[in-house]
Amino acid sequence: MSGRTPTPTRAAVLDRLDRVTDPELDRSIVELEYVERVEVDPPRVSVRIALPTAWCSPAFAWMMASDAREETLALDGVEAVRVELVDHMHEREINEGVNGGLDFETVFEDATEGVEAIRAVLDDKARLARQHGAVEALLDAGVRPEQIARLRRGDVTLDAEPDRAAISLDGDALVVFVPREPLARYVEKATDVGIVEEPDDRLFATPEGDPLTAESFDLVHRRARLARTNMTGQGTVCDGLRRARYGGAREATETSD
Amino acid sequence: MYHHEGEDVFVLDSHVHMWDASEENIVHEGGEQFIQCFYDYHTGFTPEEHQWDLSTYRKYGPDRLLRDLFRDGHVDMAIFQPTYLTEFYEEGFNTTEQNAELAEEHPERFVLNGRFDPRDGEEGLEQLERDHERYDLQGVKVYTAEWKGDSKGWRLDSEEAFEYLEKCAELGIENVHPHKGPTIRPLNRDAFDVADVDDAATSFPELNFVVEHVGLPRLDDFCWIAAQEPNVYGGLAVAAPLALSRPRKFGEILGELLFWLGEDRVLFGSDYAIWEPDWLVEAVMEFELAPDQEAEYGVEFDLDVKRKVMGENAARLYDIDLSRRERDLRGDEISERFDLADQYDRGPATADD
Repeated sequence: MSGRTPTPTRAAVLDRLDRVTDPELDRSIVELEYVERVEVDPPRVSVRIALPTAWCSPAFAWMMASDAREETLALDGVEAVRVELVDHMHEREINEGVNGGLDFETVFEDATEGVEAIRAVLDDKARLARQHGAVEALLDAGVRPEQIARLRRGDVTLDAEPDRAAISLDGDALVVFVPREPLARYVEKATDVGIVEEPDDRLFATPEGDPLTAESFDLVHRRARLARTNMTGQGTVCDGLRRARYGGAREATETSD
Repeated sequence: MYHHEGEDVFVLDSHVHMWDASEENIVHEGGEQFIQCFYDYHTGFTPEEHQWDLSTYRKYGPDRLLRDLFRDGHVDMAIFQPTYLTEFYEEGFNTTEQNAELAEEHPERFVLNGRFDPRDGEEGLEQLERDHERYDLQGVKVYTAEWKGDSKGWRLDSEEAFEYLEKCAELGIENVHPHKGPTIRPLNRDAFDVADVDDAATSFPELNFVVEHVGLPRLDDFCWIAAQEPNVYGGLAVAAPLALSRPRKFGEILGELLFWLGEDRVLFGSDYAIWEPDWLVEAVMEFELAPDQEAEYGVEFDLDVKRKVMGENAARLYDIDLSRRERDLRGDEISERFDLADQYDRGPATADD
C-alpha cells in the first residue's frame, strides 16, 4: 500500500480543523463543537459548521468558514473541499463566497474593509490574553516580574522536555522549567502577530505592542487578565446561546480559565 | 425591596423594556431574527421553570410588566430604555411613546428615557427638544450599531453626535446610555469598538455615559476607557444572569468591573423582558465572590456594595432620594394593587444601626 497518496480520514480532517479558532474566543472550532459533520469521499471533503447564533458576525463566520476550507485543503489526498455553514442569517452569501474563493468585501458590498482588519484586532487581543497565561506560569515557577520583563524569545526553549519549556534567566546563569502549554500557546500567537520574530526580540509586550518593562509589568499583566476575562466571558455567553439553540446535551463545563 | 440578611435593599432596575415583536408588527425579516435572537438569550440564561413561551415573549403587555417587576420581581423602580428599530417593526420595537403610557400612569415607579440618532439631523434635534419638553427626559439610550437606510451605524465621537450631546447638556439630559453589547449584524471593525465613548466622555464631562452590557464582548476596551474617564459607568445587563448559571465567570467579570471602575460606577439592570428580575435580582444579591477572586482583584461584593449596584448608583445619576421615594411608594397605586405597602413601612431605616 505504500507509495500511494494517503487517503484522508475523518480524524485527520478534524485534526486540521482543530487549528481553526473562533477569532473572538481564541478557541478551536472543534473544541467549541461548531463542527456539525465531516464527510470524506476521497478526494473530496465536506465540512458542515453551525455557530451559536444566526447573528454571529458575518466577518467571524466568514473567517471560520474560509479557514476551515483552507486547513482541510492542505491535507494530503484532498483535492476539493466544500464548507457548508448552516443556520446563519448570511449562510447563502458566505457559502457561495468562501467556496467560490471570493473576497469578503466583494460578497458584502456594504463592508468598508476586508476581514483582515477585524482579524488583526482580535489577534492582538488573543495574544494579550495568552500572555496572561504564560506570565502566570512563570510567576508560579518563581520567576520575578523584573526577570519576566527582561526575557527574550531566545531565552525560551519550548521543547526542552515533553511537557515542559526551559527558560534561561540572567544570561543563562539559571534555567527554570515551566509547563509547556501556556508558553507555547503564547509564542505561537505572538509570532503570528509579529511581536516576536527574532531570538533577540523581547518576549512580552504591552497591549500596544511595546516591549514590557519592569515598571509597566503590573498594569500590563492586569490588562492581560482583562483581555482574558473578556474572551472567556464572551465564550460563556456564546456557549449559553449555543445550548439554547441546539440543546443542553452540548453543555460545556465551567472552568476557571 | 429585596430582603437580604435582615436588611432591605432598594432595587432600581436601570434597564427595562416594553416591546412589541408580535408578527403583525414585524415589517422586515430582521425583526423576526432580532426577537429570535433575544429569545435565545432568554432561554440560554433563564432557569427552565422561569422560561416563557415565544408567543408571550413577543408581546407581554403592561399588566404583565407591572406584575413581573413590582409584584414578583423585588423591583421598586425601573428605567425604561427605548429601542426603536423602526426599519424592522412597523410601530417600532420599544419606543419612548409606548413606554410613556405606563411611566405617566406610575410616575413614582418609572424613569422614562428618550433616544436620539444623529443621522436624523436638524429634525432629530427638534424631536429631542420636543421629547424633553413633553417627558422631562433625564436620560437617553443610544444604539450606535443601529442601521438606517444605507448607513451601518454611527459613532458617538462624530461631529453630528457631538451636536446632539451638546443639546443634551443644554437641556439637562445628563445620562447617556450607549448600547455597546451584542450588535445587529456587525460587519465592520467599528462595530466592535467602544473607543468613541472615550472622546465623547472627555469632551462632555458634565454628562454621564452608562455603557450598557459593560461592552461585552469588548469588556477589556470598556474597562480601560472607564478607568480613565470618571464619568463612564457600566450597566450590568447581559452579564448579570451569569451570576446564577456561571458564578465563576460572573465573579471574574464583576471583579474586573470593581477593580477598574470601582463600586460607585456599576449599575444593575435586568434587561426585562430578556430576563425577569425575580430570579435575577436574587441571583445577584445572593452572589458571593470566591475568596480567591476577592484576593485576585482586591475587591469585595458585600452588602454595602450590593446596595450601590442594585439602586444607589442609579439613584445618584437620576437625582432620586431613595428614602423619600420609599415614602412615596408606600401609598402609590402599585403598592395598593399588589399589597406592597408593608415593605415600605418598616420605620426609620437607620434606627438599629
